[in-house]
Amino acid sequence: MSDGTWITIISLAVTFLFMMGTPVLLIIFYWVVGCSFVLDLTLDNTGAEMLNVFKDGFALLAMPLFILTGDLINRSGIAKRLSDYAYACLGWLRGGLAMASIGACGLFAAISGSNSATTATIGSMLHPEMVKGGYDERFSAATAAAGGTVGIIIPPSIIFIVYGFLMNLEVGQLFLAGIIPGVLMVIAMMMVCFVVCTINKWGFLTDISIGRIVKTAIGAWLGFFAIGLVLWGIYTGKFSPTEAAGVTVGFGIIVGLVSYPLNKLMKNDPTLPIDEKPVSSMFVVDGFKLFDIPSIVVRSAQITGILAPLIAVSVVMQQILSLLGAQETIGGLVTSMGGYYPVLFTAMAMVFVAGMILESLPVTIIMAPILAPIAASVGVDPIHFAVIFLVGASIGFITPPYGLNLYVASGVTGVPYFRLLRYSTMYLASLIAVWLLVAMVPALALSLLPS
Amino acid sequence: MSIWADMSTIVTATLSGDINFKVVQAYRSDGAWFVFGPLTIIGAVLVHFIYKAVPWLDRNLERSIVVYAYIIMATIIFVGVIQRFVFSNQVPWSTTIPPLLFMIMAWYGCSFNVKLRTHLSFSEFRTSLSPKGQFACLMFDNTLWMIFCIIVVTTTSRVTVNTYDNFAIVLGTDNVMRWWFIVTMPLCFIMMAGRVLGNALEDIANFRSGQPLIKQAVIGGDV
Repeated sequence: MSDGTWITIISLAVTFLFMMGTPVLLIIFYWVVGCSFVLDLTLDNTGAEMLNVFKDGFALLAMPLFILTGDLINRSGIAKRLSDYAYACLGWLRGGLAMASIGACGLFAAISGSNSATTATIGSMLHPEMVKGGYDERFSAATAAAGGTVGIIIPPSIIFIVYGFLMNLEVGQLFLAGIIPGVLMVIAMMMVCFVVCTINKWGFLTDISIGRIVKTAIGAWLGFFAIGLVLWGIYTGKFSPTEAAGVTVGFGIIVGLVSYPLNKLMKNDPTLPIDEKPVSSMFVVDGFKLFDIPSIVVRSAQITGILAPLIAVSVVMQQILSLLGAQETIGGLVTSMGGYYPVLFTAMAMVFVAGMILESLPVTIIMAPILAPIAASVGVDPIHFAVIFLVGASIGFITPPYGLNLYVASGVTGVPYFRLLRYSTMYLASLIAVWLLVAMVPALALSLLPS
Repeated sequence: MSIWADMSTIVTATLSGDINFKVVQAYRSDGAWFVFGPLTIIGAVLVHFIYKAVPWLDRNLERSIVVYAYIIMATIIFVGVIQRFVFSNQVPWSTTIPPLLFMIMAWYGCSFNVKLRTHLSFSEFRTSLSPKGQFACLMFDNTLWMIFCIIVVTTTSRVTVNTYDNFAIVLGTDNVMRWWFIVTMPLCFIMMAGRVLGNALEDIANFRSGQPLIKQAVIGGDV
């Protein structure tokens, strides 16, 4: 049998294993091992690369640090304050709580860089409130899953870091390019909330109160400060994305540790409704004790322990694909489509299909080095393509059968996976519309970049 | 050299610490698979029994490693930025040690997820199988994990001995050897093999007693 036949058999075998529930890490690893045997390659490269990806990559360090930032701001109570603010701003609209959930995802995403952390945090915080508020539990869980997609588009973002690391693009510029598309995704999903909730008459309307908005904005000041710190540091070049992540971790720990005794000292009652809380109490968040830090860190470590090994094996898979001539084959197929838009839309279709069956990090690591040069060859700006690619990869988080956010939302809300799909598809449609818009209007990604 | 000679060289040189070019060559030979394959399995059994004998280690060993690696890594980077802003200088190893700690954290975190069975997978079809089908899938996964561990223990041992033989120093330091960090990798995968063995025994016990075999794993849940 030829090498091509063997590789097809191996690919089909691992696809079967994937469908039977074997972990994705093993799927990719055994595809690599199988292909290594067929191509007569030593496995030493696999072992070495699984270490080199981490020990030679300072830029990649931003990933665990931004995951930890997410957990710290969640535990310190900053995330709750951000969601209170979002609800105060949007609660007067039909579907306001669902829209606040999406808005809170956007704000949380601006400090953390992880889709799953965003989904888990906002989902666990607002799902019970939404169900209590008369929303369908499937819609509520789907909202958390969809809202999490902006976690990796609004900067800082883990996947932008990985993309920049792979494609040698400046991560700071990628972050800036993600801002407008991320905001558009938030707006598009809010519109879905409004339409669905208006049709179904879900949720209770609250009166708009400027006082409440101001009060919750004061309560969320630490969150806004963290967002400003990250964006200022990266935009002015004061620190690299990795250092920005380190700074926000330090900020989160200091805020948590200082707030806890301060909160006790001020005798703030966390059970009081916001309207009855004194304004002074809004300046301080709940915080946490020194002994809480290990339990916070271990949650982040668990997520890192899932994602980081996937990055390592995906890098080796990409190398094998490169050896197999995937770039030439896919390149030939894509470029045969014609000019700028046919190539761009074919590349987007490939990202979409890959996102349905793979986690977004492997999709990025495997597909970006193949598709980015092809897009560049027809004149697509590399930063613009990065944003198009990554918005597509983020949509992969809610595309069945393999949508990570759907699993996370199902896990934190207890709503079974397949029941989520009814409403997640509505969000999916809105995100695809934004994706097409971002692809057709380069200014949406490029206008914030320094000239 | 024959496989037996290579195996003998690997074992004696590793035990005596007398690593030279000839030993590195032996590590690169097929003999290494015959040393590290059984070693991983024996190590897995040993680790499993240690976890059984000392439940504290079972609960805390991996999580302590990842937590400390995480905290030290974050602290080094944070302090590095503060040093640069306040004192206009930064220790040179503040950008070279954290990636090595990340490597440790990533793979020990991977082992921790093997214990918790929280690695990403598409389990919708599996959960609808009969108990026998589920058991077969789980045992197959355990076998795949064990082979994964054997492959990585062998290949990372080769990287370790190569790094040791090159006297590679962590950049920005005077005397911190790179192999001190790299050697944690084969150890990590032996510990992971111990987790795989533990999972396999748990699956067998659950199957025999008629307990549910697949439980809903929540990322960030049972930690």
